Amino acid sequence: MTLPIFAQMAVSGAFMGLVYALIAYGFQLTYATSKSINFGQGELVMVSAFFSLTLLNLGVPYWAMIPCGLVFGAAMGLVIERTAVRLALEQKSEGWILLSIIGGLFLFSTAENIWGRDDHPFPTPMSTDPIHVLGVDVTRNEIAVAVGVFAIMGLIELFKRRTLLGKAFEAVSADRDAAELMGISATRTVMLSYGLSGAVAAVAGILVSPITTVGPTMASALILKAFSVAVVAGLDSGFGVVVIGMMLGILESLSSFQLGSGWREAPGLVLLILALALRPTGVFGKTAIRKV
Amino acid sequence: MKRLLLIHGAELIAMALLGSIPLFISNPYVLALLTLLAIYGILLIGLDVTVGFLGQVNLGHVAFLGLGAYAAGLMVTRFGFGMIPALLAAMAVGFILGALLALPSLRLEGPQFALATLSFAALSTTALNELEGLTGGAQGLSLTRPPWFGRELTPPGFYWLCLAMLVLVWVLMRNVLASHWGRAFEALRDSPIATDAMGVGTYRHKVAAFALGSGLGGLAGGLYAFNFQYLQPQSFTYDLMVILLLGVVLGGRKSLWGALVGATLVVLLPNLLSNHTLFRIFAGVGFLVMVVTGVQGLIRKRLRPFQALAPIVAMGMLVLGGFVVENTENWRKAIFSLMLFSVVVGLPEGLMGFLSEFLTQAFKVPPVPLPEPATLDSVLPVRIPEDSPILVLEDLKRYFGGVKAVDGLSITIRAGSIHGLIGPNGSGKSTVVNVISGLYLPTAGRVLLRGKPLPLGSLVKVAKAGVARTFQNLQLFGELTALENVMVALRGVYHSPLPLVLLGLAYKEEQKARAEALTLLELVGLREEARTKAKDLTYGAQRFLEIGRALARKPEILILDEPAAGLAHPDVLKQIEVIQRIQQRGMTIILIEHHMDVVSELCDVVSVLDGGRLIAEGSPETIKRDPKVVEAYLGQPQPPTGGISPLEPLTA
Amino acid sequence: MKRILFSTLLMGAVVLQADGTVKIALTGPFTGGSAPMGASMRDGATLAIAEINATGGIQVGNQKMKIQTIERDDEAKNERGALIAQELAAMGDLSGVIGTVNTGVCLSGDKHFQAKGITKIICPAAGSASMTQWSKAGVKDVSIFRFAAHDGIQSAMVIEAAINRNFTKVAVVFDSTNYGVSGRDDMLDQIRKQGNKLQVVAQEKFNIGDKDMTAQLLRAKSAGAQAILIWGIGPELAAVANGMAKLGMNAPLIGGWTLSMSNFIDNAGKNGNGTLMPQTFIEEPFTAKAKSFIEGYHKTFKVERIPSPVSAAQGYDAVYLFAAAVRQAQSTDTHKIKEALENLKEPVKGVIATWVHPFSSWDPADEQTHEAFRREQTVMGMVKDGRVIFANAADKDRLIKAALGATAKAPTKAPAKSKKS
Repeated sequence: MTLPIFAQMAVSGAFMGLVYALIAYGFQLTYATSKSINFGQGELVMVSAFFSLTLLNLGVPYWAMIPCGLVFGAAMGLVIERTAVRLALEQKSEGWILLSIIGGLFLFSTAENIWGRDDHPFPTPMSTDPIHVLGVDVTRNEIAVAVGVFAIMGLIELFKRRTLLGKAFEAVSADRDAAELMGISATRTVMLSYGLSGAVAAVAGILVSPITTVGPTMASALILKAFSVAVVAGLDSGFGVVVIGMMLGILESLSSFQLGSGWREAPGLVLLILALALRPTGVFGKTAIRKV
Repeated sequence: MKRLLLIHGAELIAMALLGSIPLFISNPYVLALLTLLAIYGILLIGLDVTVGFLGQVNLGHVAFLGLGAYAAGLMVTRFGFGMIPALLAAMAVGFILGALLALPSLRLEGPQFALATLSFAALSTTALNELEGLTGGAQGLSLTRPPWFGRELTPPGFYWLCLAMLVLVWVLMRNVLASHWGRAFEALRDSPIATDAMGVGTYRHKVAAFALGSGLGGLAGGLYAFNFQYLQPQSFTYDLMVILLLGVVLGGRKSLWGALVGATLVVLLPNLLSNHTLFRIFAGVGFLVMVVTGVQGLIRKRLRPFQALAPIVAMGMLVLGGFVVENTENWRKAIFSLMLFSVVVGLPEGLMGFLSEFLTQAFKVPPVPLPEPATLDSVLPVRIPEDSPILVLEDLKRYFGGVKAVDGLSITIRAGSIHGLIGPNGSGKSTVVNVISGLYLPTAGRVLLRGKPLPLGSLVKVAKAGVARTFQNLQLFGELTALENVMVALRGVYHSPLPLVLLGLAYKEEQKARAEALTLLELVGLREEARTKAKDLTYGAQRFLEIGRALARKPEILILDEPAAGLAHPDVLKQIEVIQRIQQRGMTIILIEHHMDVVSELCDVVSVLDGGRLIAEGSPETIKRDPKVVEAYLGQPQPPTGGISPLEPLTA
Repeated sequence: MKRILFSTLLMGAVVLQADGTVKIALTGPFTGGSAPMGASMRDGATLAIAEINATGGIQVGNQKMKIQTIERDDEAKNERGALIAQELAAMGDLSGVIGTVNTGVCLSGDKHFQAKGITKIICPAAGSASMTQWSKAGVKDVSIFRFAAHDGIQSAMVIEAAINRNFTKVAVVFDSTNYGVSGRDDMLDQIRKQGNKLQVVAQEKFNIGDKDMTAQLLRAKSAGAQAILIWGIGPELAAVANGMAKLGMNAPLIGGWTLSMSNFIDNAGKNGNGTLMPQTFIEEPFTAKAKSFIEGYHKTFKVERIPSPVSAAQGYDAVYLFAAAVRQAQSTDTHKIKEALENLKEPVKGVIATWVHPFSSWDPADEQTHEAFRREQTVMGMVKDGRVIFANAADKDRLIKAALGATAKAPTKAPAKSKKS
């Protein structure tokens, strides 16, 4: 493998990894407050993308569509929280796993019937011509994903640290019971986290769609990767997902080149099982001391 | 007797019914559905071991179906073996790979475990797809069903074979799951730490459960291969996995019947939904069931409003949808999800849980009869304690980063005594207990039991060495009954090897275990609650159950970690009495306690810790007056104030 | 549980029965990733059935019989396909089956139709194995027909197109499903058959759902591939086209008919221009029949473009062929219909062509006897600015002529031999 090829592979893989990271971040947000994740997150990405596409088709300008898409995503996140998560959390059961899968199934089927089973292109105001930087080809859409990932993660992390509501979020994440004693409503905070997670899904939908196209199955392959990234990085690792996401993306790209494209995913999967065996809470996760 | 008759009767009738259908109905489609039902029954029973009993979200089961199917297929096509060796190979592949996968996944729980199994599934699909030379890759593997003892198997014949396998699996699994193995699986789900601390190795049981479940997955795969006679790696992916998982939950976890009901639903629902009229009937009936159970649940206050209303709304949507939507086939997944939602929310124990409760009442099925308790002397024989130190802590240290939780502690505990361990919050009491019991590895120092070093850093080994403990934050096995909680920990009763257990020949020791466990429950005053699930016991009763369960280890040293925390006064008195009775059996007890009155009442010697160090030791009376102790508790030196101890108000 | 069981048993026995109808089952993936093809096929067929029923039905004896359809979604899953086949095969009064998109579903399900001798027209699954499984096994009589340009014809045309453009080095790219892998085998086979004029410099695979094709394309690029011969479905093909644009590769894509599906054309945008693929139907109202079909489809199903025009047109024509066979057999009995299909006396006007004697009696040595499509009905299509057009104008004229019924083409057994276009 020559250096330019290597560079191209690494860069393309890294951009794909950022897509994983963005979706993975949505998992982290809800896990922090409620120790639950939405297994229907991929469908949330998908319906948000479809919704945004519909707005575009109705003639809403791109930049005006983004906030609408975000609000829609957040609303869907809240719906999932209400229907699939809250009851399970109240009962301290793991029912959320199944209920969120079921929620995803429902969204999938509904989307199929409303928007059709076909994949659609997602127009952006950006040109689709590649840019050549130092002998490496990248597209503007890829750069948009990278910018978007850091922007949304940065904004949310800032929100968590700088605002009162954000601090409540952090408090519930750190210790739910203690936070409740301090008068912070854990239920509200969990709602907030699902709303945020839905908004992140919408951002992912809007940013990723130009690359993946919009269709009912657009996120089904991505979501498993994103889940891996979130867990391996550690479900409470913050920016760890970016590092792990990019690593997985690059690894996939390189193993596809070296081992043959059929084996693309294999090394990642093996490393993943090993990483988990060695560090169950994730590479960047906090190792909790077992208390009894 | 009536219970056994009813339950076994129901099983016999169901199986006889299933077995005789081909005699009356020759429709090959019905036969195909029944065959698939038997295969999925085996598959879901296997999945239920990990999902229901072990309580882990296992997303890798579908891989074992696939690997088993390919193993059987390759045995037949490449190596020319017959059906029986092929099925054995399929099962072995599932069993061995399942055990291997369990190894790295041992420490994982929840989402992490789910991911590890999911990755395994993805990996095995990739391998089946890429090893084209062996498996035929994406183009699939076609095979023909080999003859069965020289005769061509007819479709009913193959169906009977699958059904026979299901019956066999059913019987064997019923025996295992009702034995101490099954209880250990469940214990693992509710509290891995307590399982270890009770000397029941989580390691061995997790691997066993996983290998067992995966082996069944492999067996189902073998039958699957002979049923469809065409295999493709893409058949065994996440999509199918989700359906299987939903099948188990829909049917009802931790239940063989539940698995069978789940399999029935998984097999039949897609077909039922494609018929418009049937679908409307289904939706209507479902709506009525949800309205009835919802209203009932609300009136009896067994359901939260959301639990009662949401399923009604969901089924209502279904009924409405039936009139609005022309082509239900297009909406199949949405319909499926609405039905599932209703069941998961409205009938949390699954269809079978709901039905079995209903049937138990309808047929007045009596609960399992309990044997007479054994005599206390046979369970906990009185030991005459020799007059020597039994446990010695030598310069024990445990640091967490910069925090010195235990900092050079040396204590000697005499056999047969009740040794109190007190100190203000954060003084290191709990850490000491956690180091002794093997939860934490000490940073330095050692622990000697009868002069021999105690194993360090392993809950199981310490438990096996004869040290049992209770937990300050209750670590009961919530889904098990009080009796079963004690039976999990019971030592010296289970001797039968696994094959005997499988064949149901361990009945005697099971009876003995029940009798002994009952004795211990009686000792802690819980005999009447023997059949109550631990999570449904009162808080006080749960504290007593912790003690009873630790006693089942028949230990030399019993460590009680704040047993009276949060107890009401009458319960405290009762507990003092129980502890005294335990001491009378000659047991050494280490008591960590905040209640000063309990300490004064019970303890022979008290060690006082502060900042991870020993600051005083002696009889309760002497340490109460020790100025250093008073200072540690109140933060400043206090003059001794006559008879009233400053420690008294700390009984919180 | 038992109640459910019994109701199914009942269902198995009591099928919605109406006298005087011809019962046809339509199967295919109507949900999920392959749905654009399955649903288009179904809708095309439904359109034809509605037209026939609007005229009162098929004349059998002295009564007109309407066509009644049973739809079954196989979700592109082999197990579902096998179960559905068993269900349909167990219905006593089924006249025939039209459908199936995925070759794997054919391989797992069709044996149940064959066992009962139920007439099935495979449409639009193109994988060679769905028919060769019968010839390879040397089955004496087969009730399975195919109405789709099978991969044998298609791959021959693809290789031919590459050779005609004087390429010498090509990369073979395919998806990891049965469809892609068997397409790869067919193409490699055709390269050999057509004289090894092409050197395959890279063989690359991708999975369903892959979005980043950089690695595969870089390998092809660095090996010096002048054209990408591709076998796959839908969005992944678009990802390949877009990836090529990103890497500045201007080698053309040549591949199976799925490159004409809207999920490729729309999503590849201008990057798809110049892509070549064999077509049996092009969504261009070049004849009155085609015009009324396209408009009818757009209006009935409220779309601006057919998701998979090829599937829709094949579904439409398959129904007309079937109806002709019913009329000729004067019976709804599936065995008689099979015999009529093997020897259709009247030409059938379809939207793709006018079909003259498309099938003949099964010859175990030659599965072409049950294949409707010959090279003549298949043309090279090219993507241009979001639509598929005829790559060679001569094809268009020929098809117009054929559709007008001027041709008296009798199918020869000669399969796709190199006929210079």
